[in-house]
Amino acid sequence: MRNRFYLMTLFISGVILCAFTLFTAYREMQPEWKDYQNDYKELLIKDTRDEAAKKKARALEVAIQQVYLSKLKRIDRCTSCHIGVENPLAANAKEPFRQHSGEYLKNHELNKFGCTVCHYGQGRAMNKKEAHGIGHDTHWDYPIIPMKYIQSTCAQCHNLEMLKLKGVDRVVKGEKLFGENGCRGCHKLQGIGGDLGKALDIVGSQPIAYFPMGNVIGERTVYSWFKQHFDDPRALVPESEMKVHVTEAEADLLTTYILSLRSEEMPREYRRFKDTAGTERTMEDGEALYKKYCIACHAKGKDSLYDELFNRTVPAIMNPAFLKVADDGYLKKVVGEGRDGTQMTAWKAAAAGLSEQEINKIVEYLTSERPKVRVEPFAMASAKGDLKNGEGLYRVRCALCHGETGKGALGLNLRNPVVQGADANFLAITVRDGREGTPMPPFGKKGVGLKDQEIVDVVSYVKTLSKKK
Amino acid sequence: MNEISRQGIDKFIDNAKNIIDTFTGSFLRSGKPTSDRSRAAVMFNNFFLHVQGVKTHMNTLRPSYTLGMGLAAFFLFVIACVSGVLLMIYYNPSIENAYNTVKDLTYVVFAGKLARNIHKWAGEAMIIFVFLHMARVFYTGSYKSGREFNWVIGIVLLAVTFVVNLSGYILPWDQLSYWALVITSNIMQSPKELTDSLGITQYFDIGGFQKELFLGGLTPGKESLTRVYLFHIMLLPLVLLIFIAVHFWRIRKDGGLTKPEAFQPQESDAQLFSTPDKKGGIFTTNKTYGLMELAGGRTPAVDKDVENTVLSWPNLLLAEAAVLFVCLAAVVVYSFFIDAPLKELANPLIPENPAKAPWYFLGLQELLSYSAFMGGVGLPTLALLGLALIPYLDREQDNVGIWFSSKMGKSVALQSFFTGIVVLIGLLAAAIRFGWLRNWLPNIPQLIITIVNPGSIWVAFVIGWSLFVIKKTGSTRMGAIALFTMFLMSYIVLTYVGTELRGPNWGFYWSRSQWPSH
Amino acid sequence: MSSAIVDDKERLSRRDFIGLASLGAVVLSSLSLLAGIFRMTRANVHYEEATKFKIGKIDNFPAGTVRKLDGRGVFIFASDEGIHAISSVCTHLGCIVSKTETGFQCPCHGSRYNESGKVIAGPAPRSLAWLEISQDVDGSLVVDAAKDVPAGTKYKFYA
Repeated sequence: MRNRFYLMTLFISGVILCAFTLFTAYREMQPEWKDYQNDYKELLIKDTRDEAAKKKARALEVAIQQVYLSKLKRIDRCTSCHIGVENPLAANAKEPFRQHSGEYLKNHELNKFGCTVCHYGQGRAMNKKEAHGIGHDTHWDYPIIPMKYIQSTCAQCHNLEMLKLKGVDRVVKGEKLFGENGCRGCHKLQGIGGDLGKALDIVGSQPIAYFPMGNVIGERTVYSWFKQHFDDPRALVPESEMKVHVTEAEADLLTTYILSLRSEEMPREYRRFKDTAGTERTMEDGEALYKKYCIACHAKGKDSLYDELFNRTVPAIMNPAFLKVADDGYLKKVVGEGRDGTQMTAWKAAAAGLSEQEINKIVEYLTSERPKVRVEPFAMASAKGDLKNGEGLYRVRCALCHGETGKGALGLNLRNPVVQGADANFLAITVRDGREGTPMPPFGKKGVGLKDQEIVDVVSYVKTLSKKK
Repeated sequence: MNEISRQGIDKFIDNAKNIIDTFTGSFLRSGKPTSDRSRAAVMFNNFFLHVQGVKTHMNTLRPSYTLGMGLAAFFLFVIACVSGVLLMIYYNPSIENAYNTVKDLTYVVFAGKLARNIHKWAGEAMIIFVFLHMARVFYTGSYKSGREFNWVIGIVLLAVTFVVNLSGYILPWDQLSYWALVITSNIMQSPKELTDSLGITQYFDIGGFQKELFLGGLTPGKESLTRVYLFHIMLLPLVLLIFIAVHFWRIRKDGGLTKPEAFQPQESDAQLFSTPDKKGGIFTTNKTYGLMELAGGRTPAVDKDVENTVLSWPNLLLAEAAVLFVCLAAVVVYSFFIDAPLKELANPLIPENPAKAPWYFLGLQELLSYSAFMGGVGLPTLALLGLALIPYLDREQDNVGIWFSSKMGKSVALQSFFTGIVVLIGLLAAAIRFGWLRNWLPNIPQLIITIVNPGSIWVAFVIGWSLFVIKKTGSTRMGAIALFTMFLMSYIVLTYVGTELRGPNWGFYWSRSQWPSH
Repeated sequence: MSSAIVDDKERLSRRDFIGLASLGAVVLSSLSLLAGIFRMTRANVHYEEATKFKIGKIDNFPAGTVRKLDGRGVFIFASDEGIHAISSVCTHLGCIVSKTETGFQCPCHGSRYNESGKVIAGPAPRSLAWLEISQDVDGSLVVDAAKDVPAGTKYKFYA
C-alpha cells in the first residue's frame, strides 16, 4: 500500500545516492595524474641500483604539483603529470616523465617561470586533454604550441638583437621575411602601414573566434590558421586580396614571427634585452622601404599588371616610359595621397604613417632609373578642348580599356583625384606617346595619328569624368 | 558528612547521571512517537514541523494527485542552496578571478565538479518543476476555495525562480555568461522601444534607467558582476525563502491541499487511520488550548475526527522524505554524468553568434526578435498578470480537486492545445518564411510593429479563444483551462524554437548541423 | 483472534524490514553526503608560494656565510660543520627578527635569542625553528620552511 510504496522509493533512492557518492569518492581519489605519478615512482625505483636513490624514490609524495606565479598571473600544474621535468635521471624516460631538453631550465627556473609562459596550454587543468587544450570542446584558445613555433614565445621577454646573439633566430628570420615581402603595404604595425588588411599589433594573442576557421585543415588552432593563411590566403578567406608567395619553410618562419606579436607585457623583472641604440626608427634606404611597403602589389614595377584579385590594373611605377613623363612632384603626390577608389593607400604621415623623408626616399628609388632622355613637350597643352568631340573620341578609342565612365578595367581608373588633378600636359603626353611595357598604346604620331587638337579634346573630356555619375 | 550536604551531593550526582536524557528531553519534548498521541505531539510541538497539520488528508498523500511536484521544487531549491554555499567557499566574484575559480572548482577541489553540476542542474530543474507544480495546481482547480492569494504568491515565486537562475548563469564570466548579460541588459532597456516611438525618451527613459541600475554602469563589467552576485547569493534567495514560508503557511491556513468532494479512501489504507484512544478523539479534557485563529467555513466536526485524515507522523513525513531522496538521487546521478558547460573566458570583442539567453528565457528571446518592447516587457507582464488574475476571473467552486474538473475540461484542454499549436506554429512559420511588416512597408512606424507582431497577435488570439470558450461552455473554468493550456503549450513551443531552430543572427535553421561554421 | 494477531505480526515484520532497510539507506547516504561535504571544504591546493624553495648550490655558501633571505623568512649559516637554516620568524607574534652580534633580536616586543635561536629574553614562548635543508636532483639546496628539525642540525652537502 501507499506507505510501502514510499518506503520502497526511499530505499531505492537511498541506495542509488549511496552508490553514486561512493563512485564520486572513487573518481576523486583516482584521478589521471595520480596514475602518472605512481608510474613515475615505479620507473625511478626500477631504473636505479643505488639504494639511497631507491629509498628517495619510494618516499616521493603523490600530490598535486603546482607552480604559483603571482607576477605572471597564472598557476601551472603541468608538473603533476610531467613530474620528471627537472630530474636528470629521467633524461631518457618516455613522456610525460622525461626531463626537459636542453639547458633552458637553468636560466628559466621552473618555480619562477612555470611552463605555459613558453609552451602555452591550460596550466590549471588536471587532465591531459584540457591541459593540452587540443580540441574545440576544451574551449581553450592557446593549446600547446607546436615545437616549430615555440621560439615565438621567446620574443615576449627578449628583444630580437638578443635572440640573434643566442642563435635563436626563427623570429628574426620571420621578421626579415615580413619586411621583404611588403606585408606592411596592407597591414599596419604600430600604426604604420596600409589599411587593406587588419592591423597586426596584437594578432598573436587573439582568440580562436577572431579567425574564420571554417576552411582550416586539421587542428583548428591559431597556429594552423596563420600557417595556412600564408600558404594560400584565399583557402581560408575567399574574399582575401592578400598577395604572398613563400615556401613552406618561410611560411613557418613568418608564422613564428606573427605569433610573437602579442598584447600582454611581461613584468619588468622577466624581461632581458640587449642594449639597443634607442627606439627611433632608423632611416632605411629607398629600396628597403620599397620592399617593405610597395613590392607586394607593384612587384618589380617595370610592367603594369592586371590584378585578378583587385579587378584592376596595378600601374607600372618604375616603367621608363612613365617615368619620362611623371615628374617627382607628381609621384610624391600619388604616393602621399593615394588613389581614391583603388587599393592604393595614402602613405602620408597623417594616413598610413610614412614621414616626408621616407616618401622622398621611395620616390628617389623609383626614379633612380629614369631615362635621361627628356620627352617632347606637348605644344597645345593650354588650348581649350571641344568636349563633344572629346567625348566621341573617348568612346571610340578609350572606353574599351578605360570603361564607359572611366572607372577602368584593363586600363586605369581615370576618375580618381590624382588623374583628375594631374597636369593637362602630363595627360596629353601620355595619350600621345602611350606607355611602354603596358597595354596603353600611343595615340599620336606613333600610333593611330590623333592630331594635337583631338588629343586636347579627349584630355578635356577625361577631366570631366569625375563629375559624371 | 551531614544529611544536608549528602542530599546536595546526591542530587548533583543524579543530575549528572541523567544529563543525556534530560538534555535531549529538553528540546524533544514530545517523547518518542510511539503512540498516536505522541505522534501528534511531535508535529505540534516542533518548530519546523508544526507548519504542517497534525493530521493530513489521505488525498494529499496520493502520489498520483500531486506527483510531489511542489515538494520537488522546494527540495531542489534546498539542494541548490546547500551546493551553492559549498561553491561559495571557492568562487570569487571579480572579473579577473571568477572564471579561474570556477575552473579550479572543476579541476582541484574535491568533488568540486560534482558540486557545480549539482548546483546548476538543481537550479534549472527547479524551473521545470515549478512549472509542473503550477500546472498541477491549476488543473486540479486548487487556486479556488480560499486559495486565491496563495496562487498569486506562487506566480511571484515563479518569476523570482527565473531571475535567480539567470543571475547564477552570469557568475562564471565565460562567453555564455557575458553575452547572456548583454542580452539581459538590453531586455532591461526594451521599454525604450516604446518611449522612442512615442517620442518621450528624453523626459522619461525608464529603459535606460533600468539598464544602468542593473549593470552598475553603461556597459557590462565588474560592477555588473558584483550586483548580479549580490542578487544571486543573498537578495533573491532571501526573497524566495520569505515567500516560500508564506506559501507554506497559507497552505495550512487554507486547510491543506484540495481534495475532491467525492473522495473515497482505499481498502488498504484503512489501517492507517488512527482510532481515537478515547471518546472524543485524541484531545482530552485535561489539556489546555490556545486560540489559533477565527476562520470561516466548515469547522472540524466535534466528537469525531476529521474524515479521511491520517496522522502526519509518519505518513506525510514519509512521503516528503521519499520525494527528497528521489530528488537528491536524480540530481546526483545526472550531475555525475553530465557536466555543466564552461566556454572560453568572456571576451567583449568577440560576440557569441547567436548570443542566446539561457534556455528558459529563449521563448522570450524569440518574442523579442519581433519586438523588443512586447517581447521584453509587454507580453511577459501580460502573461504574469493574466496568470495571477486567474483565480479572480474564474470563481466557480465546483469540481475542485479533480484533474481537469470534468470530461468537458479534458476536451477543452485537448482542443485548446491542438488549435493553439496549429495557430502558433502557423504564425511563426509565416513570419519566418515571409518576414514581417517592415519587409513590405519599409517606412512603417515602429509603434505599429510594436503593436502588430507575431507575439502580440498570438496573445490576442489566446485571449480571444478563451473568451470564445467561456461563451460556448458558459463556464469561466473552461475558459481558464483553455487559456492556461495555450500558455503552457506556447511556452514550450517558443522555448523549443529558440533553442533548437534559431542559429547565427537569429536565423531559422532546421538543425544545428546546418549552421554556417564559424 | 489469533489469526488476526498472526497476520498483524507478519505484516508488521515485513513493514519493519523495509522500514529498517530504507532507514539504513537514508542514514548511510546522508552520512556519505555529509562526509563528502566536509571533505570538500578542505583545499587541495594553496594559492601561495610553495613552502619549499631553492637557495642555490652548495658552492654559493662557503664556510662563514651568514645570509638573510628577504621574503623567505630564513637565515642561512654555513660553517665547517655544515650548512643550517634558522627561521627568522619570531615565535611570539610573527615579526621578522634581525641579526645581532650575539644572536637575534625582534623589533616588535623585544624578544631576544642566542646564536642558536634559543630564546633568552622577552615574551617569545619558543626558540626559533631550525629548518630542513635537502638537496634536489640537480644539486640545488632546498629549504622547507614547513619542516622543523632539531636545533643544532647541520647538513653536509656536496656539489
